[in-house]
Amino acid sequence: MKKLNPGWKLLSLIIASLLLSTTFHIRLNLLVAAACLTVTFCTPGVDRRRLLLSMIPFLLAALGMFTAGLCFGSGGGTEGVSVSAFGQRTLYASNLTTAMQLSSRILAYGGLGMLYAFTSNAFELVMSLMQQFKLPPKFAYGILAAYHFFPVVQEEYFIVGSALKVRGVKAGPVSPKRLFPMLVQAMERSESLAMAMESRGFEENAPRAVAFSVPVGLADYLFLAGLNGAILAGLTLL
Amino acid sequence: MEKKTNTWKLKEIILVAMTCIVFGVVYLAAVYLASFIASALTPFGLSPLGNELVFGVWFMAATLSGYILQKPSAAIVSEVIASVIEVLLGNWFGPMVIVAGIIQGAGAEIVFAANKYRKFDGMVMYFASAGACVTSFLWSFVRSGYGKFSIPFLVMLFVIRLISSLVFSGFICKMTGDGLARMGLLKGYELGRSHE
Repeated sequence: MKKLNPGWKLLSLIIASLLLSTTFHIRLNLLVAAACLTVTFCTPGVDRRRLLLSMIPFLLAALGMFTAGLCFGSGGGTEGVSVSAFGQRTLYASNLTTAMQLSSRILAYGGLGMLYAFTSNAFELVMSLMQQFKLPPKFAYGILAAYHFFPVVQEEYFIVGSALKVRGVKAGPVSPKRLFPMLVQAMERSESLAMAMESRGFEENAPRAVAFSVPVGLADYLFLAGLNGAILAGLTLL
Repeated sequence: MEKKTNTWKLKEIILVAMTCIVFGVVYLAAVYLASFIASALTPFGLSPLGNELVFGVWFMAATLSGYILQKPSAAIVSEVIASVIEVLLGNWFGPMVIVAGIIQGAGAEIVFAANKYRKFDGMVMYFASAGACVTSFLWSFVRSGYGKFSIPFLVMLFVIRLISSLVFSGFICKMTGDGLARMGLLKGYELGRSHE
């Protein structure tokens, strides 16, 4: 899984997700989710503890969709068996189907997303987007340069928070009071970053040599065809 | 005055990418908050509301960059950059985020384009936010199967998402954009020039 070309893998998974969004196929969705998670779990070198931890929000989201579908589904068929398990609200069996459809889809997307997130490397993805998908180098390196600032900015978020607290200013987690100083920093940093890149000889339209070549091979095409073929087969047969 | 062009300079790309990183961090904080609310609302079947509350943060990259750079394709390209960064950071919705980014960016872009990239005032910003909100809501029908919900619930979801996007990507982006320009940080960009 890790050896696949990240760009092509991304494309395969996007097509797979789009295919899944055309219908509400409960069994297929669950199957896709289970298959993806198993493959991810069995891939050597995957941080299994982190995988299990990151399953929590995703299961919560699926559960949330389940109850939402249950209570506010548009099915509302009257022929179903009514269940009054949740207090006084009357639920119909057709709403249960809606709930299953909505939550199984979240699970399937989550499975595909996890499969990607845990087996791909950010640097290789950008390189692959540049080499195989014609992303202009200035975008590729610009994105990478900013991407590496993520931990710094994350720390800054807490620093700004504490600085506001010291001055006795109350600021919520998404308050503009927090946002503004961070954006000021970002603007200044982006200017100097761009200047630094240009002064070190990064030219926008010059021909480039490739130091890290990300190959694309038969396995990538097979993955694209195999995964989506399997989903198409599942859609028609199951 | 410099002519408005469609090409992207390196410093503009990095500006957009850095802004996306900042919003990425803020969004992460917002998501924790939202998932807390969402989990609390799960027993009542209202958990999608938690997500809708912070949905506007998603569009901030598009509207703020559109506002600062004021040129064709600014909103859509920056929203796509934001989504690529989101994927790089390992968002568990994974690859689909990029498709969502294109669609949301297009929503804001349409509004900017309708004003021929000339008019950038509060009204346009609010309409751009609303545009991103509408396209993203249509996308939710495809992606999350919102068609399965009953109409009153859908209206409630939409209204909350609309308010969220007007507040975050409309009001806050306009305010911070003007603030940054007043501080003289944006002299190299379109918004800074119009403030001089």
